[in-house]
Amino acid sequence: MKKKNVRMQQPQMDRRTFLTALGFGGVGLSAVIAAVGNLLYLKPAVDYGPPSVIRAGRPEEYKEGVKEMLEEQRVVVVRDKKGFAAISVTCTHLGCTVRTSDAGFECPCHGSQYDNDGYVTGGPAPRPLDWYQVSVAPNGELEIDKSVKVAPGTYFKA
Amino acid sequence: MENPESSPLKAFGRNVYRSFFRYGRLPQDAEGQSYAVFNNLFLHIHPVKVSRHSLRFSYTLGLGVIATALFLVLTFTGIWLMFYYFPSATEAYGRMLDLRSAVDFGFVLRNVHKWGAELMVLVVILHMARVFFTGAYKPPREFNWLIGILLLLLTLGLSFTGYLLPWDQLAFWAITVGTSIAGYAPVLGQPMRRFLLGGDVVGQEALVRFYVLHVVILPGLLSIFLAVHFWRIRKDGGLSHPDDNDPPAKGGAR
Repeated sequence: MKKKNVRMQQPQMDRRTFLTALGFGGVGLSAVIAAVGNLLYLKPAVDYGPPSVIRAGRPEEYKEGVKEMLEEQRVVVVRDKKGFAAISVTCTHLGCTVRTSDAGFECPCHGSQYDNDGYVTGGPAPRPLDWYQVSVAPNGELEIDKSVKVAPGTYFKA
Repeated sequence: MENPESSPLKAFGRNVYRSFFRYGRLPQDAEGQSYAVFNNLFLHIHPVKVSRHSLRFSYTLGLGVIATALFLVLTFTGIWLMFYYFPSATEAYGRMLDLRSAVDFGFVLRNVHKWGAELMVLVVILHMARVFFTGAYKPPREFNWLIGILLLLLTLGLSFTGYLLPWDQLAFWAITVGTSIAGYAPVLGQPMRRFLLGGDVVGQEALVRFYVLHVVILPGLLSIFLAVHFWRIRKDGGLSHPDDNDPPAKGGAR
């Protein structure tokens, strides 16, 4: 049988270069994976903050035209002819607590001003105050869910 | 009678002394002085010879040294404060008040830490200004200028994280506003804010995160880059001096 003349093709990359690339690639890849793992570890997974659903007492306790400030929960409960609303008192500028004023709300930190519906009337605030969803819990108390925002002017009829 | 010179105790004492002061206590000749400096861990950051200009106080105003000294003062007072301080939303404020009023010399440590911190930010910025006005940011020292910027950022980070720890109204609202500002950064702003606060509002999680950053991570990073900073001063030929700015001799590298 005639021997076939097999010529080795010249490799694209020699062994040393390949192994070096493999080594550095492996180290680099594990560094990236470790970095991602560490970032994920630091990402807050459990929310230890205040609960987002709050109870605000029975609807009858609020007279018409009242603006009741719940300071701990940083929300103001409004009752007027149209029903109930829960407006956030966290300033949309940099997170200070706004106080009620004659015209609506104003922020003591940088002077943002809002009207009674939380629309910006002055100062650096970029958007209106948040309105939260209001409902009635099974036990008849008003329930405010701070994780659900509704359009300004959305009232809940009890 | 035994010769007192050859008693084992004397020999031991002499050995201990010689292991501390290998070149005699105060070497008088230039060679001995050089050896004494670079064989001592604490002195060896000094070059054996310095430019006459570097020694003129009005050139550097000692700002780098003052900043380093303040960092050391803050490290030691900070460690001491850690014996009483507790990063808990219910405890922290009370502990801070106790340090001020009940603990012996607590008010001294707290005030030295607080004023030292304010001073360090000021001195680091003045140091940066000095480096700028004396042209010390120019090659070959441009890398050390970047390390310096990193050290400034770390100093500001320490100042910011330390601000929350007293857990009073000033601290709470300052960090509320400060992290909200961070939240305005495009794309990364909100995730960064959540990372810092460990949640959506300034609370217990934020206090622990700021505490760990303030007492471990940021001082650790600052120490590492401080070492690099000093090392670069030596490698770049000491402090900048007027001869640096002379045109290099013809045909010769500077």
